[in-house]
Amino acid sequence: MNRVIPLGILALAILAFATLMLVILPGIQIRTEAPTPGLRPYSEAELRGRAVYVSEGCVYCHSQQPRSLDQAPDGERGWGRASVASDYFYDQPHQLGTMRTGPDLQNVGARLPSEAWHMTHLYQPRALYDWSVMPAYPYLFEVKDKAAPGDVVVALPERYAPEGKVVVAKPRARDLVAYLRSLDRTFPAPPTAVRDDGYSEQGEPR
Amino acid sequence: MIRRKRTQAAPPDGPEETFEPYEEFRRIPLPVYWIAIALAIWGAVTLWDNAQAVGVGRQERAEQIEETPAAALNSGAQIFEARCSTCHQPNAVGVRSAIPPLAGSRFVAADPAVVVQILLHGIDGPIDVGGRTFDAHMPSFASVLSDAELARVATHVRQTWGGDRQEITAAFVRVQRARFAGRGAWRGGEELARVVDPALGPQPSAGPAVISAFADPAVLRLVNQGRGEAWACSSCHGAAGQGGANIPRLAGLPEGYIVKQLQDYVTGRRRNESMQTVAGALTDAERRGLARYYSGLRAPSTAKPELGGDVSRGEQLALYGDWSRNLPACFSCHGPSGFGVAPGFPSLAAQHPAYTASQLAAWVGGGRNNSDVQLMNEVARNLSDADRRAVADYLATLPPVPAVTQERR
Ligand code: HEC
Ligand code: HEC
Ligand code: HEC
Repeated sequence: MNRVIPLGILALAILAFATLMLVILPGIQIRTEAPTPGLRPYSEAELRGRAVYVSEGCVYCHSQQPRSLDQAPDGERGWGRASVASDYFYDQPHQLGTMRTGPDLQNVGARLPSEAWHMTHLYQPRALYDWSVMPAYPYLFEVKDKAAPGDVVVALPERYAPEGKVVVAKPRARDLVAYLRSLDRTFPAPPTAVRDDGYSEQGEPR
Repeated sequence: MIRRKRTQAAPPDGPEETFEPYEEFRRIPLPVYWIAIALAIWGAVTLWDNAQAVGVGRQERAEQIEETPAAALNSGAQIFEARCSTCHQPNAVGVRSAIPPLAGSRFVAADPAVVVQILLHGIDGPIDVGGRTFDAHMPSFASVLSDAELARVATHVRQTWGGDRQEITAAFVRVQRARFAGRGAWRGGEELARVVDPALGPQPSAGPAVISAFADPAVLRLVNQGRGEAWACSSCHGAAGQGGANIPRLAGLPEGYIVKQLQDYVTGRRRNESMQTVAGALTDAERRGLARYYSGLRAPSTAKPELGGDVSRGEQLALYGDWSRNLPACFSCHGPSGFGVAPGFPSLAAQHPAYTASQLAAWVGGGRNNSDVQLMNEVARNLSDADRRAVADYLATLPPVPAVTQERR
């Protein structure tokens, strides 16, 4: 190893180049983006729900980045238009995700706006989809003898309902559902918004 | 690569006391150069290809920006041709005993507020035009045309067939829109004459308002509060049955069609986990009540083109079909203007593109197969991907179903 210095310099240069191209330049590009018109900041409850989303690791199975029709039929699946950078203005850290074990959730609030539906689904996904591989989250709920006024009771098919008791959402579940229902970026993206154009093709989307 | 780099430093014969280990200078093996060059070329090509794609994307959107004001500059005559001529005919003579003429009509020649109010709210009752009584449904354009567009088409209609040169402005339409905001369709000529312009003269009256199942409190509870696993319909389908994304618009679908779909969810002939759960928790009578409720519901359109489809191609398919692809016109079955034909042919107007496209794809993929007559399977198979998006986007631009499409009893 008699060329430590040139090797070291080369390695650092490669790292610096990658940082410049993949971190600094894109950062400069999106830093000045204002939120997409129509995007609103999260409410207190939604932010708490977002923290639950992050801590439960939903991001490992769900992306939040519908792709353009040139790339995938996400729009036809009802997942919404391709996202643009300014859609994530209030998301820190963003929950883009890399895996789609489950469906994309960027617009789940438009596609599944029902609070009651989400409660059932989070408590036991198999109560709705017998083939679902999503984990159940029973610890976001509590089993009570009787619902108190103001409680959100989870509607369950007999098979999954505890006998003679009711399942009630804990505040964490209610916040999480508030967050999920807020995920609705179906407003139009301005034509000038920064986006992934890497798959655009001439003519109509395939 | 590792193999190539392995040193073959065979020691010279016998160990030598003075030997200092050293590294021979060896050239980098040629294949490493090749690989490096290939990678560099690959990188360059990818960059070039990406730049090309980004250029295409930018250009398409730039064209879109240019097009938008141009589309907004559609003349009144163009809007008339696209939006009115299918019913009132290109020369505005109407269709005997079904659709009234505009040419020579009192409604067109009366106060400018009359035409604007008709365009904003539609008509659902009998009217008298030129001594003949018509009793059909004129759709409301409030949710699909802007104030400026309504002003232009109203001006065109009045200048061409009403003999009035005065121009109707967007500001005038805005005022008229606010005037009866939130009301439903005009219940015939009598109401228009009474409320908007007495100069319309004697007009047939609509008779007493029909109070149907709308007000059934049990049905309303299911719609708004739900019961157990029958989550409130409105929590997904919207407060006015208008739908969204891939949740279908229900307002204005034929009653018989809704009953059949709900039954098919129960028996599993039509598959969708959420709807199977909901429909299974309802009784027969409740399903019928809900079907009656939604078929009579009117809701402004909330659909808009969102799949990047070619809307004029979609219009072509909907109105005329495409015989080169063996596609009959959608409206030959789904009724003129896509308002549906009770009981078997659902309305398509103002349906959300993601839902329409997903259903068309489901017929091709076998995901939807619950019709005995199977008319859609063939139609859907003959649509290309681009056509599917085009027609779905076009249908989203249409005014919603004007009135109760219940079967007449
Ligand atoms: C789906 C078919 C349909 C479409 C599309 C339609 N109309 Fe009508 N229109 C009718 C019917 C039917 C009536 C009569 C209503 C009744 O009998 O209650 C009517 C009545 C009218 C009247 C009052 C009666 C008369 O003849 O003067 C006017 C004005 C009118 N329409 C203008 C328009 C304009 C402008 C457009 C395009 C923006 C349009 N309509 C689009 C079906 C349609
Ligand atoms: C959890 C959300 C949700 C709830 C709650 C819900 N729906 Fe649906 N509904 C859907 C979705 C999603 C579809 C589309 C299903 C498909 O692709 O087959 C649908 C489809 C339908 C259809 C078929 C429409 C068509 O055009 O073919 C009818 C009818 C319907 N729902 C009625 C109801 C009624 C009545 C209720 C209340 C008792 C209700 N829905 C509650 C989500 C829901
Ligand atoms: C030969 C008659 C016929 C033609 C032509 C036709 N349809 Fe249909 N369509 C039907 C029938 C019947 C149904 C109801 C299907 C059922 O009951 O399962 C239907 C249902 C649909 C639905 C489902 C609506 C809903 O609410 O779920 C869509 C979407 C649709 N058609 C789109 C189209 C389009 C787009 C075209 C033109 C390219 C077209 N149809 C042409 C007969 C037809």
